[in-house]
Amino acid sequence: MPAPAARLMPLQPASPGQVLPAPPVVDLWWFDARAEIVRPADAAVLAAGERHRAKTLLSALGRHRFEVAHVMLRRVLAGYLAAAPGELRFGRQRCPRCGRGQGRPVLLPGPRPAPFFSLAHSGDLVLIAVAGRPLGADLEQDPAGCVCPVTEVLHPADAAGLARLAEPDRHRAVIGCWVRAEAVLKCTGEGIGHGLSGLRAGPAGPIRRVRGCSVRSLAAPPGYQAALALAGQGGVTGRPMAARPGPG
Amino acid sequence: MTAAVDATARGLREILATLTGRGELLALPAGTPLFGEAVALDSLTGTLLLREIQRRFGVDVAAEDLNLDALATLGTLAEFVAARRARAG
Repeated sequence: MPAPAARLMPLQPASPGQVLPAPPVVDLWWFDARAEIVRPADAAVLAAGERHRAKTLLSALGRHRFEVAHVMLRRVLAGYLAAAPGELRFGRQRCPRCGRGQGRPVLLPGPRPAPFFSLAHSGDLVLIAVAGRPLGADLEQDPAGCVCPVTEVLHPADAAGLARLAEPDRHRAVIGCWVRAEAVLKCTGEGIGHGLSGLRAGPAGPIRRVRGCSVRSLAAPPGYQAALALAGQGGVTGRPMAARPGPG
Repeated sequence: MTAAVDATARGLREILATLTGRGELLALPAGTPLFGEAVALDSLTGTLLLREIQRRFGVDVAAEDLNLDALATLGTLAEFVAARRARAG
């Protein structure tokens, strides 16, 4: 039987004045793109660059998923900042490993301290995690086929553990390990180009401390796996949010 | 595009379509960014792509191109893989 499903957010009105949780709690906002309708007025909050990126997507489904993810990201963050979603501006920090400009996506400075966030989307689902310190969230749909080659880029100890599993159980376990490693990389702000093999994130399960982060697996809806990392050694706890942000 | 690069690009399109389950990628123009929005490869699929390239073409892109500049577009990747295969003889 699959793990208990995380609850997807029901339709609720806007929630301005959202308060950032105290560490180690991280707010988790889940969305299902199948349940969302993005009207032109909704998409109007996107910046010109975001709208251009949406237009260049090949499929209508891909464009829809992109717009849901980025419109909801703006709505969620606007709730913490008491700002209009369209006012938010995003940038990227430099990668702490190589100094290139492909590090952590951040809100550009405004009149109020900006929350840290991490956006992950896969298949129909979107996960937005928000906290008062750097964090990383990753989400992947269960694999349709063999993903065993991915073990070649994971930490050797993690790869050895996965190799002991029989297929197809191994495939799901590979993704469980992958999302933890990706969550840590997102938390540290390092690009994946630097590789995952030095990062022992461990198999799906409890909290592990790695690279100055605490990482844990999350209860995701059936067919998906997710993980969450928070800067610091003090653990990490996800708090599914009960309200769904409106257009603001 | 030379015949070798063209053939490599066709092979890469097949790999991409198989990995993503998206048949439209069989007609992907060479200049399309792989991690841009049109293809929108995520890091997991990108990793699977590199492992499949190594298996099918014998080229370890990640080991030979540390900045992964070859992954800019379908065309740059095809040229990189075709050049390495030609050099290896």
